[in-house]
Amino acid sequence: MIQEIADALVQSWRNFASAFVLFVPRLVAATIIFAGGFLIALIVKRAIQRALDWMDFDRLTLRSGASEMLRLADMPPADVLIAKIVFWIVWIGFIVSAVDTLQLAPFQGLVEEFFRFVPRFLVALLVLSIGFLVANFLWRATLLASVNAGLPGARLMSGSLRVLVIAIGVVMALEQVGLATSVVLAAFAITFGALMLGLAIAFGLGGRDAARTLIEEQLRAKRDRESDAAPHL
Amino acid sequence: MDTDSTLPDALLRQLIAVGQVDVLVGLPTLNNAATITDVVRAVHVSFTRDFPRLRTVMINSDGGSTDGTPDLIGEARFTEADRVQTSHPLRTLHRVLAPYHGLPGKHTALRTIFAAAELTQAKAILVIDPAGPSTTPERVTELIAPVARGDVEFLAPRYRRHPRDGVLITQLVRPLVRALYAVGLDEPLGAEFSCSGRFSSHCLEQDIWDHESARFAIDLWLRTEAAAERFPIGQIWRPMSSPAGSRATLRDVVHQVVLAVIESLRAHESFWRNANAISELRSWGTDPGVIPDVMPWDFQALAEQARRDIVEITPLLEDVLDPGLFVRVMDNTNGAGPRLDDELWVRTVYGFATAIQHGRAAIDHMADMFVPLYMWRAAAFMSDTAPDPPIAVQSRLDALCDTFQRLKPTLVATWSNEV
Repeated sequence: MIQEIADALVQSWRNFASAFVLFVPRLVAATIIFAGGFLIALIVKRAIQRALDWMDFDRLTLRSGASEMLRLADMPPADVLIAKIVFWIVWIGFIVSAVDTLQLAPFQGLVEEFFRFVPRFLVALLVLSIGFLVANFLWRATLLASVNAGLPGARLMSGSLRVLVIAIGVVMALEQVGLATSVVLAAFAITFGALMLGLAIAFGLGGRDAARTLIEEQLRAKRDRESDAAPHL
Repeated sequence: MDTDSTLPDALLRQLIAVGQVDVLVGLPTLNNAATITDVVRAVHVSFTRDFPRLRTVMINSDGGSTDGTPDLIGEARFTEADRVQTSHPLRTLHRVLAPYHGLPGKHTALRTIFAAAELTQAKAILVIDPAGPSTTPERVTELIAPVARGDVEFLAPRYRRHPRDGVLITQLVRPLVRALYAVGLDEPLGAEFSCSGRFSSHCLEQDIWDHESARFAIDLWLRTEAAAERFPIGQIWRPMSSPAGSRATLRDVVHQVVLAVIESLRAHESFWRNANAISELRSWGTDPGVIPDVMPWDFQALAEQARRDIVEITPLLEDVLDPGLFVRVMDNTNGAGPRLDDELWVRTVYGFATAIQHGRAAIDHMADMFVPLYMWRAAAFMSDTAPDPPIAVQSRLDALCDTFQRLKPTLVATWSNEV
């Protein structure tokens, strides 16, 4: 009986020892990957930040309106943000590899999942950036065109368009990364549809006379302005 | 530049039949039926009476008139009164009708005329504004003669204006061109001019004709190109023609002028950055002397419109103007009446030029943003000078030119460097 217990203990110890002998190199390798990944991610971050500085990326984000949005959201400047995102993507990649090296059963297949997610995440970021660019361009163009046409509420109209385009960009980005896709899409469709229907009813029924007056005034004002360049030339 | 490829085959055949000429008169037309017959007769009387020994041709480059303008040009005949003035022509009076192809606009018409001039080896080229009501044989001759004699290679009209007239010219284009190109051109935007064959050939070789911006920039670009390439420039007094025929709105015109100015500045950067001593130009013709009355217009309404527009586009102005300049401009537009002193106006103009050059927004957007600021300045100028006699207003215009000149180094310093 005692002998059996002793054999079991020895066997258990041998199993533990052999597992430990197998695990320690993996742990060391994982630690190296973890630490090395951190250093590499740091280097990549610095390189990205320098490249963005060299490309005068700040000016581009200022023009696109992204800087203003980031400032309002209490986020760091766009170049710092991008460098941080790249840092975390690289480091998380190494962390996942390190965990995979440990060959722990619950984390099997984590690397494949991660590398499937990264491209979707990058595309989502790209969609979001393009959304900001388009939104800002349309905001400027609409505001200037409305002011030139003498339309009332130019800022409200152009601002609404900007928010709408950004919202579309955000929804597309969320859909790309697969975050609460159905909820986001349904919420967006309901809100957008309700807004447009409300506007259509308000403008078509409630504001019919006001709309006619507005259009007539615009046409009259346009006619009045037809020859207004003459005294200036 | 391959002249043959610029000209349609039918026009090429007609020009080959004409052969070499000494003087070429170009008429870029678009729906000018009301005035074109008188212009054609004036040109022909000038040819037969004042240049009987020279080989001449008149070329109409039409942009697709729907009112029968080319037909009227083809059918125009001498009247009895014309015959009294002229002797029997010694040479054939060539009249070539050439509808142009390509992008619509005066630049395409001018390109056709210049290409025809190169093919016919014309020594003097005159481009007439077909809408001008004051084209007489004497004035056609006056425009051709200095170039035909070789006294000058580019001749631009000048007008005796009331100093409160033509605010866009006096507040922006004239002082800007004077300060940057160091040339005392009175009318940088004029539609008429005459030039040498050498200048027209030079222009044909430049990379401007296929640019979309050339549609609006061409008149200003021709003048600034002549200055930048040091072609001898002169001016000639012409009777003031009413700009009431202009179908464009003020916003459109200011927008186009901004595009034209920027296109010219970009094309001639190496010249204007170093041009300093202003050269006064030789002048022909007789100064009418009498200052015409100023056309009345409601500048208070313009000021109110400008104020409303500036409030609306404030976030855009904040994005593109330097912070200090933005604050000063907004302070000025918040006052009771229109107010924008010379120095702040010039800094605003230079600030916009720099912002466009640095690409702080699309150039069309920048031009639109500039419009209300110009309207504000125009209203401020008209309001300030309302009680002043013409001589006092003229002094203020001279002072504005000096301010543009004095602050030019700020534009030179910031044009190529982001600040």
